[in-house]
Amino acid sequence: MSKGSRNPRREMSRALSRVANATVAETLETQAELPEQVLYRIGVTGAPGAGKSTLISRLAARRVERGAKVAVVAIDPTSPVSQGSILGDRIRMDAVSDDPNIFIRSIPSRRAHDGLADNTADLLWAMEGHGFDEVIVETVGVGQAEYSVRAIVDTVVLVLLPESGDAVQAMKAGLLEMADIYVVNKADLPGAELMAGDIAATAARQAAPEINGGDGWVPPVLQTSSRDAASFAALDAAIEAHRAWRQNRIDHDAVRRARSRYQVQGLIGRRAEELLETMPDADLDRSPKEIYEALLQQLATAPGEGET
Amino acid sequence: MSLKGKRILIAKPGLDGHDVGAKIIALALRDAGADVIYTGLRKSPDYIARVAVDEDVDAVGLSMLSGSHKEIVADTVQCLEALDAADIKIFVGGTIPTDDHAGLIAAGVCGIYTAEMTIDDVLAAIDKELAA
Ligand SMILES: Nc1nc2c(ncn2[C@@H]2O[C@H](COP(=O)(O)OP(=O)(O)O)[C@@H](O)[C@H]2O)c(=O)[nH]1
Ligand SMILES: [Mg+2]
Repeated sequence: MSKGSRNPRREMSRALSRVANATVAETLETQAELPEQVLYRIGVTGAPGAGKSTLISRLAARRVERGAKVAVVAIDPTSPVSQGSILGDRIRMDAVSDDPNIFIRSIPSRRAHDGLADNTADLLWAMEGHGFDEVIVETVGVGQAEYSVRAIVDTVVLVLLPESGDAVQAMKAGLLEMADIYVVNKADLPGAELMAGDIAATAARQAAPEINGGDGWVPPVLQTSSRDAASFAALDAAIEAHRAWRQNRIDHDAVRRARSRYQVQGLIGRRAEELLETMPDADLDRSPKEIYEALLQQLATAPGEGET
Repeated sequence: MSLKGKRILIAKPGLDGHDVGAKIIALALRDAGADVIYTGLRKSPDYIARVAVDEDVDAVGLSMLSGSHKEIVADTVQCLEALDAADIKIFVGGTIPTDDHAGLIAAGVCGIYTAEMTIDDVLAAIDKELAA
């Protein structure tokens, strides 16, 4: 169709659709060689209702003010029953929705259960080379979103609510060891101060060398509120500080390997799903071990080869 | 029938503040397998067209009760064209007098779904339109 659209924005948009609809075979064709990563990747994660979409719109506006061109990928859950979805994050980003320097793409989580869509990594690569400077990824905020988003973005922001339960839950789930920046959002509600203190005490441990091979970054704990514009300036500054720190302090090779691992795992998972979906009932009536072995054999054939 | 994999923007132009109909159709489309993006109330044709392009939808559904549907449709068609996205289909729903239907079709609308139709009929019509 409009592969070479005269509207560059439409061109990027169509490119994303092609990636989103691609089979594993088609995806692989684009990934023999990945582009250089130019877009700085910011992940925003946290429970549904924590205020991620609202926060992203404020943050994006702030960053655009400083001259950045910002893309947003907002993931919403796919209904496991109908496989359809209502992609509602955009409504909360209304204020920036038609800013020419902000591009927002809503995507369904599809089969993935990790708070990202199974093709998020591919989409991030497809956003390279279209004139944007950074991309903000909003996770669904369920399951193991924090771990997955960690694997594909540069700075992870975890958004929590000022309810004591949220901090305890987060601590139990080990989330307070995952993020680079913690945000107690809706700080206009009671309890934010107290909670920020609790989290700061935990987060400080993250920098200690004996935890997680601690690396010296002490995650800041911020309070934000949609009623307080200055609170987003502080978040913006914290992201910049992490970015600068990261540039010199992290092991970039290790990060690259972790990303490749995550992406290949995703490709294999999707390929296995493709094959299992078309596996005849008679084959599926065998034992799990036999099905697994049959699947392995099929996986060994390059996707696209010998298919109808 | 399945709208699986189809992306549809449900938009609410015009000044009226009733979006129950828009929400019902959004949910029905979701249940039929589509990925549905909803704009919220009182959006301009320019805004709707920009969102349609960024989200790369297959179709835009305009939900209208306010009576200014002719202008809104004409403007939306024009804005999509200006963004090199004339291939994105437009359907309309809401209260549209029968007398206006021919004019809207001529203006580039692919379907008009009024309150008299059942949801199933609407879904079937959209499905047919998007399969084409
Ligand atoms: N009181 C208060 N409410 C907020 C704030 N930020 C967002 N909300 C509300 O919280 C709800 C969920 O916000 P949303 O951004 O959709 O959360 P998400 O599900 O994490 O993306 C909405 O009703 C917002 O209006 C805030 O700073 N203070
Ligand atoms: Mg959201």
